[in-house]
Amino acid sequence: MFEPGSDGYMLAVIGLLTVCSAIMRAGYFVVGNRIPLTENVRRALRYAPPAALVAIIVPELLPWAEGGRAFFDVRLLAALVAVLVYVRTRSTIAVILSGMGAFWLLRAIL
Amino acid sequence: MTKVSLPQARALARARAAKSFNEGFQQVLPTMVATSLWGFVTGIAMVKAGMSELMASLMTLLVYAGSAQLTALPLITAGAPLWLIFAAASVVNIRFVIFGAAVQPFFSRYRWPARLGLGYWLSDMGFVLFMSKFADAKKRGTPHQMWFYLGLIIPGWISWQVASLAGIFMGGVVPQGWELEFAATLALMGITIPLVKNMPMAVSILVAGSLAWLCQPLPLRLGLAVAVVGGIVSGVAAEKYQLKGGHRV
Repeated sequence: MFEPGSDGYMLAVIGLLTVCSAIMRAGYFVVGNRIPLTENVRRALRYAPPAALVAIIVPELLPWAEGGRAFFDVRLLAALVAVLVYVRTRSTIAVILSGMGAFWLLRAIL
Repeated sequence: MTKVSLPQARALARARAAKSFNEGFQQVLPTMVATSLWGFVTGIAMVKAGMSELMASLMTLLVYAGSAQLTALPLITAGAPLWLIFAAASVVNIRFVIFGAAVQPFFSRYRWPARLGLGYWLSDMGFVLFMSKFADAKKRGTPHQMWFYLGLIIPGWISWQVASLAGIFMGGVVPQGWELEFAATLALMGITIPLVKNMPMAVSILVAGSLAWLCQPLPLRLGLAVAVVGGIVSGVAAEKYQLKGGHRV
């Protein structure tokens, strides 16, 4: 019934991942009243959001190759262009447009 | 002292709730470019991994966790055992335990079914925006915070789902050479850079970024969890250093 590739397997995966989402996200919401955090820990957690975002971004810009070797590609250059544009314009849309533009251009040239 | 009748008080509360909801909505609106791009790319990835459109739709609607879904895809294609897929998704989702711990005190006065729902619909973006606004709030658990939060997570959920379904059913229209994934990364950068407002925050993201780069060979995206922990620890350390009369920036 749960053989890989079958609908049953797929439904089981979806069911399990739904449970996983609920436990991980809502777990503390549901039982947290009984295990309160100290004020210091709570203050420390302010650093979590930017850290998580950066941790998603960095491997996209500077990926490691299959064999476990770091490599460099035009994405990083395009991202630098986008950062400079952000500093000047303070606009998120400008970051996306300039970064994509630089990426396509650099890829065509290099 | 003026007396307010009950219907009047209700109308007033409703107007305030609508205002708070709208305030949240205005905050989440600019981030929707990023999340929609991620959703679209995730939708395409599910179909490319061989999932039927029906299963892919079910997955996005129920699981609602882009990074966990993307992690599970290669395992599904390989026919991995169910427990392994569950374990991998759990590791990727660990950051939500930290997020949940930070946000929970704001909603502790509600009953558990409500808390279950509020937690399940928590997203990366909802967390980032909510904490940016209320991390230093003196009072926790106000109706304003609740409606602001709903203003973040409800529109966020809708835009993610619409984008993800669009990716599932119409993803083939976009040429692969465009590399839309990169646009999603850029959009995330546009959200992250403005968060760096002081020295400890800058130290925190430098450390988190370095760890995320170094830890890439770790399996199951464990590097993400390592980076978050490192970011928190270094941020706190930098804050302490600053308070001790260290160099103030």
